[in-house]
Amino acid sequence: MAKKRAKDNSTRFRDYSLLFIILFLLAFGLVMLYSTSSYEAALEFGSSAYYLRRQLIFTVIGLGIMGLVSRIPYHFWQRVAVPAYVAAMILILMIIPFGTGGADGAKRWIYFGPISVQPAEIAKVATILMTAALINRLGKRGHTGRGFALILAVPVPIALMLWRITTNLSSAIIVVLIVVGMLFVACPYYKRFFLMGGAVLAVGALAIYVVTNAADSSTLDFRGRRILAWLDPEAYAGDTAFQTLQALYAIGSGGLFGKGLGQSMQKLGYIPEAQNDMIFSIVCEELGLFGAVCIILMFILLLWRFLVIANNAEDLFGALLVVGVMMHIAVQVILNIAVVTNTIPNTGVTLPFISYGGSAVVVLLGEIGIVLSVARTIRLGEL
Amino acid sequence: MKSNGNKESNENREQKLRRGQRRFTITMQRKLVVLFLFVLIAFVGLGMRIYAITRDNGEEYKRQVLSQQSYDSETIPYKRGTITDAKGTILATSTQVFNVIIDAKAMLEKEDYLAPTLAAISSVLDLDSDEIRDYVNDHPDSQYYIAAKNSPYEQKNAFDEAQSEDGNIQGVWFEAAYIRSYPNGTLASDVIGFTNGSNSGSFGLEEYYNDTLNGKTGRVYGYLDDMSNLERTTIDATNGNNLVTTIDANVQSIVEKYLKKFNDEHENKVREGKGARNIGAIVMEVDTGNILAMASYPNFDLNDPQNTEPLIGMNKLDETDSPTDEVLTAEDVEAFTDEEKSRYLNALWNNFCIATPFEPGSTAKPFTVASALDAGAITGNETYLCEGYLEVGGHQIYCHNRYGDGLLTVGETIERSCNVGLMYIAMAQGIDTFTEYQSRFNFGLRTNIDLAGEARTAELLYSADTMQAADLATNSFGQNFNVTMIQMITGFCSLINGGNYYEPHVVSKITSPSGATVENIEPRVLKKTVSESVSEKIREYCLQVVTGENGTGKTARPAGYLIGGKTGTAETLPRGNGEYIVSFIGYAPADDPQIAIYVVVDRANEEAQDDAKYATGIVRNILTEILPYLNIYMTEELSEEERAELEELQLSDTLALGRDADVSGNSASGTTGEGAGEGVSGEGESGEGSQTGASGQEGASENASTAATANEIWKTFETDPETGYKVDPNTGALVDPDTGYVFGGSVLDESSSPGSAAGSTASGESGESAGAASSAEISGEGTAAASPEEAQE
Repeated sequence: MAKKRAKDNSTRFRDYSLLFIILFLLAFGLVMLYSTSSYEAALEFGSSAYYLRRQLIFTVIGLGIMGLVSRIPYHFWQRVAVPAYVAAMILILMIIPFGTGGADGAKRWIYFGPISVQPAEIAKVATILMTAALINRLGKRGHTGRGFALILAVPVPIALMLWRITTNLSSAIIVVLIVVGMLFVACPYYKRFFLMGGAVLAVGALAIYVVTNAADSSTLDFRGRRILAWLDPEAYAGDTAFQTLQALYAIGSGGLFGKGLGQSMQKLGYIPEAQNDMIFSIVCEELGLFGAVCIILMFILLLWRFLVIANNAEDLFGALLVVGVMMHIAVQVILNIAVVTNTIPNTGVTLPFISYGGSAVVVLLGEIGIVLSVARTIRLGEL
Repeated sequence: MKSNGNKESNENREQKLRRGQRRFTITMQRKLVVLFLFVLIAFVGLGMRIYAITRDNGEEYKRQVLSQQSYDSETIPYKRGTITDAKGTILATSTQVFNVIIDAKAMLEKEDYLAPTLAAISSVLDLDSDEIRDYVNDHPDSQYYIAAKNSPYEQKNAFDEAQSEDGNIQGVWFEAAYIRSYPNGTLASDVIGFTNGSNSGSFGLEEYYNDTLNGKTGRVYGYLDDMSNLERTTIDATNGNNLVTTIDANVQSIVEKYLKKFNDEHENKVREGKGARNIGAIVMEVDTGNILAMASYPNFDLNDPQNTEPLIGMNKLDETDSPTDEVLTAEDVEAFTDEEKSRYLNALWNNFCIATPFEPGSTAKPFTVASALDAGAITGNETYLCEGYLEVGGHQIYCHNRYGDGLLTVGETIERSCNVGLMYIAMAQGIDTFTEYQSRFNFGLRTNIDLAGEARTAELLYSADTMQAADLATNSFGQNFNVTMIQMITGFCSLINGGNYYEPHVVSKITSPSGATVENIEPRVLKKTVSESVSEKIREYCLQVVTGENGTGKTARPAGYLIGGKTGTAETLPRGNGEYIVSFIGYAPADDPQIAIYVVVDRANEEAQDDAKYATGIVRNILTEILPYLNIYMTEELSEEERAELEELQLSDTLALGRDADVSGNSASGTTGEGAGEGVSGEGESGEGSQTGASGQEGASENASTAATANEIWKTFETDPETGYKVDPNTGALVDPDTGYVFGGSVLDESSSPGSAAGSTASGESGESAGAASSAEISGEGTAAASPEEAQE
C-alpha cells in the first residue's frame, strides 16, 4: 500500500511553479507594501511596520487556508455553490445594519469580533463557484439562448447589491466580467460576446459624450467628475484627479530602472494611501519600467499556469473554477494598472497579492487553494 | 492503515463523481487560449502605456515630483536682540507669542472632538468658538487656519494643560512667533526706531543695527533615512545679538519731559499747532562721545508708529516735503490718502537731531573764535568796537543789538553775542582759515553716529572758492550755512574738552543672546580740532555767557551749578518773516566739563520767536534734574529762591551735595563779568583791538571809550506792561531789557542762503551801545526797516 501511495504521489501533479509564482508575488508584495506604507505608518501609527505586520498576519492565515483548501477535493464546492452564493448575498445585506465605513464614507466592511470582512471579496468567490456549478449543470443547455441568459443572470443580483449597497462599482464590474469570461470559455460562440463588447463600448462612449457636454460640471456626481478628470487630469489636479496625477508623476519620474527600492518620493504623503490601489505606481517609481514589466510578466506566468491547469483539469467543473480564478486575477490586474496609468477613469481596484488588504489576500489565497486542488487531480500522464 | 482506507474510499467516491462530470472540451480549451490572448494583449497595451508615460512625460514629471517636495520642513523663528540703556533698562525687546492654528481635519476626525475643543478654545483662548465652528464646518479639509495671532505664552500653557486633561481636545496647535515691543512707548523713539512685521528695522538703532539684531531662522527638516523612516533634524534658530546703548533712560525721560512741557505750554499759544515746529535736545558725554539722551518733539509711540494722532498740529508739507505755515487739523489727518500719510509719518519718524539741517546762529560763534585763536589770527587780547552794524561787501550787516555793543574784548563778543565783533574776528582769520576750520569741526559732514538717517549738509556750506566777504561775515555768527544738531554738539565737545573730536555713538556694547560680550565700542578720537589752550579760552568765554552781567545765557544756569555755553538765535528762510530757531549749547560743570547739552527750539509758537530763553529755560530745567542724578556736585551757593525751587522739585536731598567751591577760571570770569561795564579788564587790550580793527577793516575804534562807558540806551525805554519788554519809542519794536536785543528783527538784508550768490548783511545781538552811534543807526535803519530786514540776536 505504501508503495502504491508513493507511486501515486509521484504521478500526481504538483504545480510547484504556480506555488513559486504565488510566493514570489506575496513576498514581493510585502516588500513593496513596506516600502510604500512605512512613511505614512510611522506618521499615523508611530510604527513604520504597521501595515506590513497586519498584511503578514493575513498572508500567513491565507497561506494556511490555501493549504487547507488545496486538500479539499474540489467537487465539494459544487455542492456548496448555492449556499455560498446565498451566504454572500446575506453578507452584503448585513452591511446595511452592521457595516462600517471605508475611506470615502461608503460602508464596505463587516466586523466579526476583531476580524473585518469585505463581503465584496467573498461575493467574488461565491460567484465563481456558482457560475462554474451552473455551467456544469446546464451542459449543452447552456448554449441555448435561455441557458446563456440564465448564466449571465448569475452575477446580476450580487453585482447590483455591490453597486447599490456598498457603492462599490468596481467590484460589481469585476463580478460581471468574471462570469462573462467563464461563459466565454464555456460556450462555443464568439459573435454574442463581440456584440456585448460592442454594446458596452457604445454605452461607455455615450456616457463620456454626455459628461463632456454637460453644461455645468458641478451638477455631475463623483463618477461624472471622475470621467472628466480622466480626460484631463491636469485640469482637476487639485481634487478629483489629484491621486491619479500624483500616480502619473510617480510612474513618469521612475524612468527605465526607477529610483531604487525605497527611494520613492511620491509615497511621502503625495499619493494618498498608496499602499492600496496605487501601489503599482510606487513600483514603477522605485523599480522603473523594468520592474513594472517584470511584475506584469509574473502575472502573465501566473495566468499561464492557470491556463495549463484548466486545460488539463479532469472535468469541466474543475476547469471552470480555474478559469474563474484566472478571470478574477486577470481582470483585477488589468483594471488596477489601467487606473494607475489613467487609461480608464479612476475606480478602486486593488492589485492582487501586492496591494494592502486582509480580506483580499485571504480570499485570493483561498482561490489559489481551489486551483491547487484542481491541479492535484491531474495525473502526470495526462499532461 | 485506517487513514489509508479512508483515502481509498474517498478516491472511489471521486471516481464516481467524475464519471458524472462533463469534460472540458477542446473547443473550450481553445477559447481559454483566446481569452488568455486577450488578456495578454491587454497587458501588452498597458506595458506600452507605462512606457509612453515614462518616455513622453518622464522629465516633466521628475521635475514635478522634485518641485512639490517640501520635506515636511518648518521654520523656527529667531528672537531679535534686545536694546537696553546703559543701566540695563529694556528699551526694545522681542517677546515670544503664539499663533493659534486650527486643524479642521483633525478636529473633525472623531465626533467627540469638536465640542470639547470648541469649548476649550472659547474658555481658555478667549476666541469666538462660533466663528471657528463655522470655519471648521465650511472647510473640513483645512489643516492650517490662523485663528488668532500673538497669543501670550500663558494662554498656550493653559491650553496645553486643558488638553492633557481632556484627550478629546484635538486639532489646535500653536506656532511660535516673536513680536517686538517697546516697554517705554515713546521714550527715545527717534533713537530706537521701530520694526515692521518681518523684523526689518526702520529708523534709528533698529535700522542701523538691523543685521546685528537679527538672528538666523532655524529649520526642522524631515527626511527619510536608509530604512525609509521619517527622521527629523532640527537646526535651531540663532537669536540676534543685543545692543547696550549709552542712552540713560532716566536722563532721556527727563529731557523728554521738559521738551513735552515746553510743547504743552506753547501749544496753540499764538497760532494753531504744536508748541514749536520742532524741539530737539541732545545730552552727550564730553570726553567719550557717548550720547546720554537724544530726543525731539513731536515724538511717537514705538508700539504704534503708524498712529497718525501725533501728526495733528504738525506743519503741512508742500510738494517738496518742506513745511509750510499751515498746520494739520484732525480733519486733515482723517482725510489722508495713503501717500500723504506715509509722507507725514516719515517726517514724524525722522530724527530731527541728526537729520534736519538748519542754520545754527550764534552757537557757531565759539567755533569762529576758536578757529581764529587756534590759527593764530587773534591772540584773545583784542578788542572790537560794535556800533550796531558793520558794512561788509556793500551790505550793512547788523549786530543783534542795533544800538551797538560798544568796545568789547574777545570774551565779551561771545558773552554778549556781538555779531560785529565776530565779523571782525572772522575777517582776521580770512576765508581760507575759516573754511578749513569749518571742515575740521566736521560741519556739513556726517559724524558717523550709529543711527540711521543722518544727514550730510556739505552742499549747504561755502567752500573757500565760493565764499565771499559777506558770506564770511554772516557765517561768522552762524547764518548762511547749515548743520545738524549732532554736528554742532560733537564739534562743541571737542572745543571744550581740549580739542579731541570724538565720534559720537549710541551703542557701547554688543552682546550675544547669552549675554557674552561680542564687541565693545570704545570712544574713538577722530581728530584734533583745536589746542588745549584754545579750548581753555573757549571755556572761559562760554562761562561768561552764563555768568557775565551781560551774558545772553544767564537763564540757562541751573541752581547750584556753574555751566558754560552759548545761546543762538537764527533767522530762518525766507528772511524777515519773523521766524527763528533759538538754541542753547552748553556744558556742565564749568570747571570740569563732563556733559554737553544742546537744545534747539525751531520756530516756537510765540509772538516773538527770537527769544533764546525758550531754549535756555529747557536747558536749565533739564540740567537741574540730571546733574544731581549724574552725581555731579553743586559748587555754588543757593539763593533762597533757588532753594525753594529745588525743594519744590523734591531735589532737596541733593542740596547736601551743594557746597561753596572755588573753581578755577571761575573767579576770573566772575571779575570779568563784573568789570565788563567799566571795561577794567578790557582796557589794556583795547589798543590792540583797535589796531586790529584799523588794519583789518573800517575800524570804529575811536569811539571805543565812549562806547565802553556808554549807557545802555534801551534801558531808558518805556516798559511794555504786557510782556515786560522795553519798547523802542522810534520803531515801536520790543527790546530785551537785559541785552538790548530788538525782537523780530533781521540781521540779514535779503533772502540769502549758502546756495544763492546773494550777499547778506546782518544786524546784531545784545549788549550796550554808544548813544550817538545808536541813534545814527536807528535813523539809518528806519529806511532799512521798511524793507524786510529786521534785527535779531
